[in-house]
Amino acid sequence: MMILSRSVALISLFLLPLLTFSFSVDNPTDRRVLVLLDDLSLKSSHSIFFNTLKSRGFDLDFKLAEDPKLALQRYGQYLYDGLIIFAPSTERLGGSLDSKSIADFVDSGRDLILSADTSASDLIRGIATECGVDFDEDSSAMVIDHTSFSASDVDGDHTLIAADDLVKSDVILGKAKIEAPVLFRGVAHSLNPTNNLVLKVLSASPSAYSANPSSKLSSPPQLTGSAISLVSVMQARNNARVVISGSLQLFSDRLIRSGVQKAGSPNQYEKSGNEQFVTELSKWVFHERGHLKAGSLVHHRVGETDEPAIYRIKDDLEFSVEIYEWSGKSWEPYVANDVQVQFYMMSPYVLKTLSTDKKGLFHTSFKVPDVYGVFQFKVEYEKLGYTTLSLSKQIPVRPYRHNEYERFIPTAYPYYGACFTTMAGFFVFSFVYLYHK
Amino acid sequence: MVKSTTKDAQDLFRSLRSAYVATPTNLKLIDMYVCFAVFTALIQVAYMALVGSFPFNSFLSGVLSCIGTAVLAVCLRIQVNKENKEFKDLAPERAFADFVLCNIVLHLIIINFLG
Repeated sequence: MMILSRSVALISLFLLPLLTFSFSVDNPTDRRVLVLLDDLSLKSSHSIFFNTLKSRGFDLDFKLAEDPKLALQRYGQYLYDGLIIFAPSTERLGGSLDSKSIADFVDSGRDLILSADTSASDLIRGIATECGVDFDEDSSAMVIDHTSFSASDVDGDHTLIAADDLVKSDVILGKAKIEAPVLFRGVAHSLNPTNNLVLKVLSASPSAYSANPSSKLSSPPQLTGSAISLVSVMQARNNARVVISGSLQLFSDRLIRSGVQKAGSPNQYEKSGNEQFVTELSKWVFHERGHLKAGSLVHHRVGETDEPAIYRIKDDLEFSVEIYEWSGKSWEPYVANDVQVQFYMMSPYVLKTLSTDKKGLFHTSFKVPDVYGVFQFKVEYEKLGYTTLSLSKQIPVRPYRHNEYERFIPTAYPYYGACFTTMAGFFVFSFVYLYHK
Repeated sequence: MVKSTTKDAQDLFRSLRSAYVATPTNLKLIDMYVCFAVFTALIQVAYMALVGSFPFNSFLSGVLSCIGTAVLAVCLRIQVNKENKEFKDLAPERAFADFVLCNIVLHLIIINFLG
């Protein structure tokens, strides 16, 4: 008995560090990341990017994409919290991995960084299509831009692009502006315009097009201009985040270290914007920014503290909700001025913007409308780059009870007066009639 | 022609007035009461025309109390008038007792309906 309990204690002691580092809703620290490479030399050629991840506390597990011992799950538990696939030419993933298991991985709420390159295989294209991103069907096509290429392009075919059309979002790309253009060399992809879960983070300039650089164009290219996305992100409805890049070289040390000068522009930068771009993007995709959590909705009548079971029409009520944002280490109060609450029954009767006390509490007060029924307090917050908040709480609203109306209606005072005057008149008349001479 | 019609109207009016002066006092009292009740009713109708009929039950209650009591007073007058051959055998006290009872019932209903 003693030996059993001691071994259990020993085992739990070993498991404790693992438990503190694993993913949980209160502590969304993605720590264990599986990195799939098609060539182990990528470990050194992309070392700056991997080191930034390691310095933030991530446990990177480098494996070859075709390793037969690959597994994402064991006995129903996921072994990793994030996945990076830097294996653009892999036709088949090893072990128990395939595009369906990767789709399930994202469905479970875990994050993915996927990068294609000039020789993107069908497997990689398939995973990208699952996430809503369509790579150019021509497998030999690359993004070519004759006006926005980098002046340091050695090949001379204008495939090394200096892109600066970044999405305007502080939460995805960080508060600091990325001054230098981002160097890119790879394939183009496009997004379905009706899909509202994907977003272009780095777009090509209007003069870009996707074609084979070594052969003459026989017909106009299909993907052109700003419809070409170079790097896109997708935030799924379960708030899993996916980054899809058309270039593996975007993450490489060579492009991170190189200076950049856009052809035709006088500005020359010593360092390209690549390092800042990939670092900030990786912070976003692994939930270090823009991950919101909401406490429960609290509502009560003005002057009370308990939540009533039912409201009456034209009651004054106060509503509040707490929203926190994960800063990578702890929950910080979320500050924004566009969180709204709806008092909803088939359509919002009341829509109010909540005011914040800057400590994470969002509150407002309003009058219950003059309609009775079963209402819902709804907070539907969908801001670009932030997790979607979808909260609701049901509450019934009743009409006046028969003794809650006003007792005497002021407009009817003349009628009250007339009735009593008539009664008094009748009384006086009967006296006079009986006792007159 | 005009002069003669004016003179006729004046003669008619004078004869009506002299006939009315001859009526007994109790009947004149009842007439005054009826005028007072109808006047009150007309004031209420004018007020309703001004502000609208919002608490309609109160309006009805007020107007019907006046009209009801006027109607009961007219019945009393008919029954008490000695020139009326139909009610020759009815004691005037009985008529007055009916009048009082009906008025009490009327005002009970009115207060109930007033809201």
